[in-house]
Amino acid sequence: MTTKLNYHPDHAMLVEFAAGTLDTAASICVSAHLHFCEQCRAELLSLNEVGAQLMAEATPEPVDDSVLDSVMAAIDGFKPFKALKAEQPISSSFPFSVSKLISDSAATLTWKRLTASVDIARFKTGQRAYEVALHKICAGGKTPKHDHNGLEFTVVLKGSFSDERAVYREGDFLLRQPGDVHQPMGAQNGECICLSALAAPIKLSNPLGFLMKPWLRINPM
Amino acid sequence: MLTKKEEIVDKHTEKNSRVAVLNLAGKRSDKWSLLLVSVGETRDRQAFAQLFKHFAPLVKSFAQASRHEGWFPGLSEDLVQEVMIKVWQKAAGYNPEKASATTWIYTVARNCRIDMLRRKSNTQHLPLENEDFWHEPDEETPVSLLRQKRSEDKVQASLAQLPKEQDEILRKVYLEGKSHAEASHELGLPLGTVKSRVRLALQKMQILVAPELQDELIHDH
Repeated sequence: MTTKLNYHPDHAMLVEFAAGTLDTAASICVSAHLHFCEQCRAELLSLNEVGAQLMAEATPEPVDDSVLDSVMAAIDGFKPFKALKAEQPISSSFPFSVSKLISDSAATLTWKRLTASVDIARFKTGQRAYEVALHKICAGGKTPKHDHNGLEFTVVLKGSFSDERAVYREGDFLLRQPGDVHQPMGAQNGECICLSALAAPIKLSNPLGFLMKPWLRINPM
Repeated sequence: MLTKKEEIVDKHTEKNSRVAVLNLAGKRSDKWSLLLVSVGETRDRQAFAQLFKHFAPLVKSFAQASRHEGWFPGLSEDLVQEVMIKVWQKAAGYNPEKASATTWIYTVARNCRIDMLRRKSNTQHLPLENEDFWHEPDEETPVSLLRQKRSEDKVQASLAQLPKEQDEILRKVYLEGKSHAEASHELGLPLGTVKSRVRLALQKMQILVAPELQDELIHDH
């Protein structure tokens, strides 16, 4: 997809992604954004070169010949050779990593009603810091106004939604922090599906928000 | 073992071959990229052995630089093996238009290093490997090799010229595998300072356009 996107991960995040130091949940979100964003993909090519150059300039550490022998023995075991083909994405419109998460958790992935207009499906990602999930907002659906208790990454995968500040379209990457209060609304012309990674439960602005508390617990898994 | 003289010659050619050269046909023609292509195309074992001799010690050095939690020196040769076997398996997918062999092998090494750490630390299995995060969409627009090459040269030339404090942080992030937050903690610097040093370094390498240049570009159009 070549449409110019408006909202990207910041450069620091891309550097961490290229260096491999970004945590798993955030990496899933960045990779989803890359599926849509040519500009960030191009930046990452250069950021990879930085890592490559640092590796290439380091003092080489002697490797024992036995390692070469065992690697050669291992690759002999691969005969007859078949080129490893890139796996085909399961759903071509979704980013590969997300498609793979969906197909891997097909047995356990279930949509649950969160509010009248929002459904959630939680992924198992084997880390404890973030709940990684898909959120589906129905067309024109209003979500409750809320604040954030921790970081929240969101990538729009399908359709669009808006809040008080702007409209977010397919591929847009959003970072919300504590103190960012907003009330997302689904676009009128169709449902919106987002990928999100949430570090802590959201904080409802409505004074009766505490009634919703049991539903808002996050579930990193 | 190489004799002293051969070593010097070897060092010399290495130095030249790291500079990604383009021949008249506009193809990448540095030694390592050509060898990697022939491993991919004809399963050339000799070419592979040459790549091994050059890259295995660099990958080992990259492995030993790791300061990740849970990493220990004994893993270094495991990583070398895993990376070089992957290089053999995936060489058919190497696209010299997109990256030099050094950059490509760096990405394999980075991905393997993260996967090894994730395998060690995850209580539950993450259904994704790090390379899944780098899967490119099918409709990927071809990169201009010339542009790519220019960017590689820029990175290479300016990396050596970086002020010590910027170089130090890039090494922490890319080689030691520290996040910006961890680097800031270790160096006793505010996170903002770490991020701005990284940003300045990226601007020097022209991966990021400096704000003042950005203004000029806008005025140009």
